[in-house]
Amino acid sequence: MLANIGFGVLVVSFITSLYGIIASIIGVRKNSLAWVESARKAMQITFPLITIVALAIILLLVTGQYQVQYVYNVTSSTMPLYLKITALWGGQSGSLVFWAWLMSAFTTAVTLRKWERDREFLPWVILVGLVTLTFFLSLILFFENPFVRFWVTAAGNQVISMFPPAGAAPLIPADGRGLNPLLRHPGMIIHPPMLYLGFVSFVIPYAFAVAALVTGRTDDRWIRITRRWTLVAWLFLSLGLVLGSRWAYDVLGWGGYWAWDPVENAAFMPWLTGTAFLHSVMIQEKRGLFKRWNMILIILTYALVIFGTFLTRSGVLSSVHSFAQSAIGPMFFGFIALSMIFSVWLLIWRWQILHAEGNMHSLLSREALFLLNNLLFMGILVVVFWGTVFPLISELFTGQKVTVGPAFYERSTGPLFAALLLLMGIAPLSAWGHSTVKTLGKALWKPALAALAVVIAAFAGGIRNGWALFGFLLVSLVIFITLFEYFRGVTARRRRTGEGWLAALFNLMARNRRRYGGYIIHLGVVLMALGIIGIEMFQTETQGTIPPGGSLRLGRYEVTFTRLDIFDANDGRNVARATVLVSKDGRMVGELHPRRDLYFDSMQPMTIPGVRSTIEDDLYVLLVDWQPISSTGVTFKVFHNPLINWLWIGGFVFILGMLVAAWPDKDPQPVPVAVRRGQAIPSRSSGD
Amino acid sequence: MVEERINNAEKTNRQTLPRWVVGLVFAVLIGFLVLIGLGLRRTQEGPIVIGQKVPYFELKTFDGEVYHTQQMQGKVIVVNFWASWCKPCEQEAFELEEAWQFYKPRGDVVFLGVDYVDTEPEAKAFIQQFGLTYPNGPDLRTRISQMFRIQGVPETYIIDREGRLAFVKKGPFLSVTEIRGAVDPLLP
Repeated sequence: MLANIGFGVLVVSFITSLYGIIASIIGVRKNSLAWVESARKAMQITFPLITIVALAIILLLVTGQYQVQYVYNVTSSTMPLYLKITALWGGQSGSLVFWAWLMSAFTTAVTLRKWERDREFLPWVILVGLVTLTFFLSLILFFENPFVRFWVTAAGNQVISMFPPAGAAPLIPADGRGLNPLLRHPGMIIHPPMLYLGFVSFVIPYAFAVAALVTGRTDDRWIRITRRWTLVAWLFLSLGLVLGSRWAYDVLGWGGYWAWDPVENAAFMPWLTGTAFLHSVMIQEKRGLFKRWNMILIILTYALVIFGTFLTRSGVLSSVHSFAQSAIGPMFFGFIALSMIFSVWLLIWRWQILHAEGNMHSLLSREALFLLNNLLFMGILVVVFWGTVFPLISELFTGQKVTVGPAFYERSTGPLFAALLLLMGIAPLSAWGHSTVKTLGKALWKPALAALAVVIAAFAGGIRNGWALFGFLLVSLVIFITLFEYFRGVTARRRRTGEGWLAALFNLMARNRRRYGGYIIHLGVVLMALGIIGIEMFQTETQGTIPPGGSLRLGRYEVTFTRLDIFDANDGRNVARATVLVSKDGRMVGELHPRRDLYFDSMQPMTIPGVRSTIEDDLYVLLVDWQPISSTGVTFKVFHNPLINWLWIGGFVFILGMLVAAWPDKDPQPVPVAVRRGQAIPSRSSGD
Repeated sequence: MVEERINNAEKTNRQTLPRWVVGLVFAVLIGFLVLIGLGLRRTQEGPIVIGQKVPYFELKTFDGEVYHTQQMQGKVIVVNFWASWCKPCEQEAFELEEAWQFYKPRGDVVFLGVDYVDTEPEAKAFIQQFGLTYPNGPDLRTRISQMFRIQGVPETYIIDREGRLAFVKKGPFLSVTEIRGAVDPLLP
């Protein structure tokens, strides 16, 4: 019954969005406000409709209706309630519904804003939003229907279909197969929605970019409207990436956080172009430059978002993230092809009118440094893209899928990341329009000296790895420059207003949240870089089989095995849990419990490390193996990950900075530096 | 002067894209789409089907010996995919070894154990535990399993004397009789 209702509403939402597409096209052709309004209503109705579809699935999951194939595939009776709910995005069809639901929520939110000044954009924004939504709904409806059920025909055959064949009776399995145990982790519950949110919200700046191209409005209005959307999209995408690496570190049990897996890359690539876009739109706002470049960046970002979704779901590249091989691959392929060809054609058609309104005057000006930043991001994108599709290229020419390993990515992106770090320090010091070596040098020498002092201290402390020292130099340079910028801003403000330190700091940030939020984000990034340098360059590991009472040494640590307990937990898994004592420099510092869970329903083991975390390092102990009759003992793998926690601390700082930068405000935006000519729209705007 | 500069800038900026750039952009785009499309088609193709010629492949065993199926022409080849972490693989390991011992004296049946996504110490322990004596080796870069497009372990593929795929078993063999029932019809 519930499944039928869900399916019915799904059909209605598909028809509604299809109608919205037609109405917006008619609205544009006839120049009719009524039709556009009707399209807007259609857009807004899809949200409650898809909400009902999603709720129907959740109800089916929670009440354990195993007759429904999707419920059977992703849940089982032993799973706790929160996992049954989040199983909505635990499988292919449910996660597509979730995607479509978020998509309609965001596009609906956009259509709710006031449109008086941008009425010509409206039909096109609705059109792009609805075409994307309709595509996803058609995938759900025609290929991945979450409501199909099991039936037994009169002849005794098992059938999977939406409606029962004549004379068939429902087939109700006693229990479901259960969610993949790897996904039963708090990080996994938040990580996919964050990525989806990031992906989905990038559709909105793209929709506005298309609207701007089609209508020929080449000012920066589309950028101002979507600025906050872009930041939100970027926030979610970044959160998704950080949470994903934390999950990998906690659950996958290989001592790392990032494996350059195709699907990780799939989420990382739109992040790269999105980050470049965030920076370069500022130049269009301030100086009227880079209009074409911004269009290219947002089109690339949208294309990469769809491409990333395609990679995860088509089985083209093998990855730990892949969903089962599916029929939706060709559909996705068609959609990617059409949207890319259309966007590129649109851009070429409008190329001429997207001319810059000024010129770049100095190679050290902020816009020039931003351009360099963009080029570096593109460089990293090219490397990652090449590595990701290389298996396809090699298969084409040699018949074998050759996968490039992490070493390829690390070696080729390492120098680019280092250059980005350096730029991150210098660019905020340069001025719009014009800077010289002298002005930059004046602002730079104090922080540079302080950074050099840090490196000398690190060298004196016994670090001899040249690359690491260079990394420390860059990291501390950016930290000092950022703090120095804050210090300068606060003292200047205090001199002017006579406020106290804290009040001055608070008001400084409140007055220019984008700038100072950006600085906090930069601080977060360098702290993350510190963690990455630590684990990449100083990670050590050892492995050994030890009897009870025996111990393993790694650096200053000693791990002593005391006991192993094997028992059944009441949620359907067998747990083997070791107890080890950890001592550092001969002093006892704690007890760890690395364990291995074996899930009965899927017979899949899961290795959970025992981790001792400090600001300085992590000691990460894995239970690898044990003999059933404990004679020879237990095998452990031990990692020492220096500085790794700065990666997570940096992640927090990063998110904090983003919240500062993206928080909605009512203050008018500052007037741009260059005054546009021939522009009817006032450049003061509130954005949203 | 600034005005003049801006005018100059606009002159250079207002150009349309040269034809060759447009052509190049679309060529790259189409090339990329073709690449993805071909990859997708391969994915959708599925495994080698029964009756089809199986391409030659090479297996380097854990002991360092190299076996090439081209040198096994005229023999029946039993290719078994397994892994040390795979519970059902343990179920059929003794049976496979027993079947191998039965056919070994004849000389025209070859068993190849392909170890799928595994770690060497664990895999060697598995071989020792079940006393496997036929050639076993790791599937480096999962080349062989990709060729057969296996869906999981254990899976067994039997190639007849003409080099064609004759039999596919997904999941473990339950008895030696079952293995013999698959191999015997292929022998003269």
